[in-house]
Amino acid sequence: MRRYLVTGALVVLALVYPLLVAGFPVYERLGALVLLGAIGASAWNIVGGYAGQVSVGHSVFFGFGAYSAVVVYTHLGWPPIAGAPLGMLLSVALAAIIGVPTLRLSGHYFSMATIAVAELVRVLSSTSEFLGGAQGLGGPAMPRTVFDLSFLSATPFYYIFLAVLAFLLGLTWWIERGRMGFYLRAIKDSERAARSLGVSSGRYKLYAYMLSGAFTSLAGSLYLCMFGFVDPESGFGILISVKMVVMAALGGAGVLFGPLVGALILVPLEELSNSYLGGRGAGLTFVVYGAIIVIIARFLPSGLLSLFERRSPARPPAKMNVASGHAD
Amino acid sequence: MSITLAQVIVSGLLLGAVYALFSSGLTLIWGMMNVVNFAHGDFVMLGMYSAVVIWTALGGGPFAAVPVAAIMIATLGILSYFLLVRHIMRGPMLAQILGTFGLALFLRYSAFWYFGADFKTLPDTLVGGSFVLAGIRFEGSRVLAGAVGLGITLLLHVILTRTAVGSRMLAVSEDATAAQLMGIRPQRMQALAWAMAGAATGIAGALIANFFYTSPTVGETLAILAFVTVSFGGFGSVLGALVAGLIIGVVESLSAYLVGPVYKDVIVYVLFVLVLWFRPQGLMGKA
Amino acid sequence: MLGLGKGASAQPAPVKVGVIYPLSGNSASAGNYSKMAIEVGADVVNNGNADLAKIIPLAKGGGLPGLGGAKIQLIFADNQGTPAAGQNQALRLISEEKVAALIGAYQSGITLTASAIAERHGIPFLTAESVAANLTERGFKWFFRVTPVAIDFARAYSTFLKEQKAAGQKVGSIALVHENTEYGNSVGSVIADQFAKDSLPITQKIAYSANSSDVQPQVLQLKEKNPDVVIFISYTSDAILYAKTMKELNWKPSIMIADNAGFNDPAFLKAMAPTVEGLVNRSAYSGGKPGSVPAIFNDLYKAKAGVELDDVSVRGLEGFLVLADAINRAGSTDPAKIQAALKATNLPAEQMAAGYDGVKFDDKGQNVLASSVVTQLQGGKYVTIFPKERATAKVILPYKGW
Repeated sequence: MRRYLVTGALVVLALVYPLLVAGFPVYERLGALVLLGAIGASAWNIVGGYAGQVSVGHSVFFGFGAYSAVVVYTHLGWPPIAGAPLGMLLSVALAAIIGVPTLRLSGHYFSMATIAVAELVRVLSSTSEFLGGAQGLGGPAMPRTVFDLSFLSATPFYYIFLAVLAFLLGLTWWIERGRMGFYLRAIKDSERAARSLGVSSGRYKLYAYMLSGAFTSLAGSLYLCMFGFVDPESGFGILISVKMVVMAALGGAGVLFGPLVGALILVPLEELSNSYLGGRGAGLTFVVYGAIIVIIARFLPSGLLSLFERRSPARPPAKMNVASGHAD
Repeated sequence: MSITLAQVIVSGLLLGAVYALFSSGLTLIWGMMNVVNFAHGDFVMLGMYSAVVIWTALGGGPFAAVPVAAIMIATLGILSYFLLVRHIMRGPMLAQILGTFGLALFLRYSAFWYFGADFKTLPDTLVGGSFVLAGIRFEGSRVLAGAVGLGITLLLHVILTRTAVGSRMLAVSEDATAAQLMGIRPQRMQALAWAMAGAATGIAGALIANFFYTSPTVGETLAILAFVTVSFGGFGSVLGALVAGLIIGVVESLSAYLVGPVYKDVIVYVLFVLVLWFRPQGLMGKA
Repeated sequence: MLGLGKGASAQPAPVKVGVIYPLSGNSASAGNYSKMAIEVGADVVNNGNADLAKIIPLAKGGGLPGLGGAKIQLIFADNQGTPAAGQNQALRLISEEKVAALIGAYQSGITLTASAIAERHGIPFLTAESVAANLTERGFKWFFRVTPVAIDFARAYSTFLKEQKAAGQKVGSIALVHENTEYGNSVGSVIADQFAKDSLPITQKIAYSANSSDVQPQVLQLKEKNPDVVIFISYTSDAILYAKTMKELNWKPSIMIADNAGFNDPAFLKAMAPTVEGLVNRSAYSGGKPGSVPAIFNDLYKAKAGVELDDVSVRGLEGFLVLADAINRAGSTDPAKIQAALKATNLPAEQMAAGYDGVKFDDKGQNVLASSVVTQLQGGKYVTIFPKERATAKVILPYKGW
């Protein structure tokens, strides 16, 4: 009962947040930024958290989404958001192409291969005239119609992002409870065991990867609509990928609300530390930002949500449990 | 073969030996503990700053800088192990990325705060200029880094495979609990691995600073290269990293010269993915 | 309490100006130097400088006379090298800090996103150094650009080379070496187009990525083709590597041109000046005689930053001075009045800190009097060699190197 009350209160808070901060554009925008970060990290969570395949190259999909949106504007004159479905389709196809060779790799090898693929695409995009080369491409400078989603206030974006996030989390929840969720958890715990039980691990990993890619791409398209510009670094850069991983890991990977919690901590931390410390130009922003991440990782290696988790007996003790001192 | 092509290959080999040099610390940690250190590039960066400080403050060359950097970064390695890594190893693999990425930002911007954003370089007279051999020009600072790279790689290999300490470290990496039952203290061995990796990385930084620019963000550039080198070679295999480094160096140089510098990274990444396609455990990694 | 309030209001509230620069990330070096240059400018407006006051009316001290002596307060923000952070900070400066106008943001992509926010909010945005051509093609009404753009650089090189050709230098083969991000690509292609028009043959084009750890293959390609002229468009890290590698491989062209950026970075000069003696560069900074505006500002800046004014820092400074002048003439912090004053800007060449012919904006917001001079590194310092009326030294060719 208490759980429903808390959930209900949080949902209401999410719905009325823009009203609470109305008149403070920075905080209206902060809300939208948190949700956008949460969409990206939640999309990543499907393959990285649930299936345990730690991709550090998800910027490939993010960039595809952003570029699809800007390309339909630049080359066809359509509103950028019209590129979102295209980006998602392309990303699903791309996920299949990348996934087949790389998902066979185990552990860190997979992570490294995804980094390499993302870097590859970044370099290629900077040589492509069609994609605006290294200069990048800009969306509509001034909104033409409402479909350009070019709003003075961030509040419309907030509700669009909230709807997308709600849909994505609903979908994830549905998968989590269904057969696929069961298979993914089995694969994450022990791929060999899953396979011996007859789970077609390759296929389910690929499904997860494709789904994850599609929604990461959507995050990219939404990013483009909001910021109106993408170049190879802000689309395909490694920092984009790492941020998704870090957000999910910080909140709790493989947990439904983990990425959202991560975004709720990291995005405001990043924005506020830059606002208050960035102007001095001594790099203090990232000293603080880095230190806080280190401290959380040190004391809550399984993410913030592990604080509220009942100890699940299913998880085998980590290899090196001889270490002293318990975090909790 | 034209002299120019020979020169390209030689420069690729020297570059490759340098890649092996700054990757050896990463592969050691990776192999010993299955931990990827996302702050590795920033360890190299701090090694480079050690050399810069020793030159600007004391006028010392590489012979002073190398041991100092080795000790500094080894200490940093031990501190990172005890204060952070030891704890994040209890969590999922993701915690490593989280923790070491945070550490990377912290170190990078602490250096930024302390040293400023400026690029620094060491005078290229510190390590005796260059010499010509059979029509091919060799640059002293790169030859020194390459030679040390080879030396350190082989030394690490010998320590791991031929000494008692090495076999104890390997025992811990295979099964820490079993090793503990045999009277080996896993934490001590792992701290030792971080110290050795730190020392190798510090030396790498101090030598690279002689021919590369030093800036707070230089580690980012180097880290991706190190990741590719290490997984290309097979994690945990010090020799694998050496071979991979040499291959990558030569491929980069040749493709930059023959195809165009923009495409050299593309070719290296494609090659890397292909290698993993045929050998998912890297060139010399254990299956 | 009341008394205190009155006492404070005798001194009018300061005018807030938002300044967005890369203060962290890969371009932080340039951003931090520009920040110091703008601080020098604000100090002159607020506290005065007797020598400058003879030439620049605003340098008398005591703030902006048009606003009853209001001081200028700079609010700096870090764009972190990302278009997103640039836009977020622009919004914060406008809505939280209530700045009267914005200056920024160094990288063209970030200027694009940051100025889009300013346009929507109706706040003047002035860029002092972003050169991408499309910035002034967006039909914006609140956007102003003081700096010359790539085509101006290309024309300066072209005229300079034709003059050298007439003087008997060989310019029969030209290599263009450019880094592969926005800056190198855009400037490179503009130079290539202009040279094609002026029938200056570009015989070799090399694009490379600026974070290369080794540039030997590129230098070997050059060495093999051995062009008469090489034009480098590089950032700092790669500029350092090229300078080192050319010396190592013992190759130099007879004319070496560097398009500013990396080759002008104080960090580059500190490290590499002795290996690139005779390098030809372009700059918005032209030293000038003692007592001239650039020379006085250079002394002030050197005392603060420890290095000489250069192209990047002087353009930032000039951008600030233009904005201060406009706010002063507007006589108000009302953005619309500042916009109108910016449109009416007409500053003469002798008041310029940068080597422009003056400042006057066209309908698109581009400064039509912006220009660049060609400089050469002589004795470890850049001196102006072209055009003749600005030259402080004679060109020395061929390129000496080390």
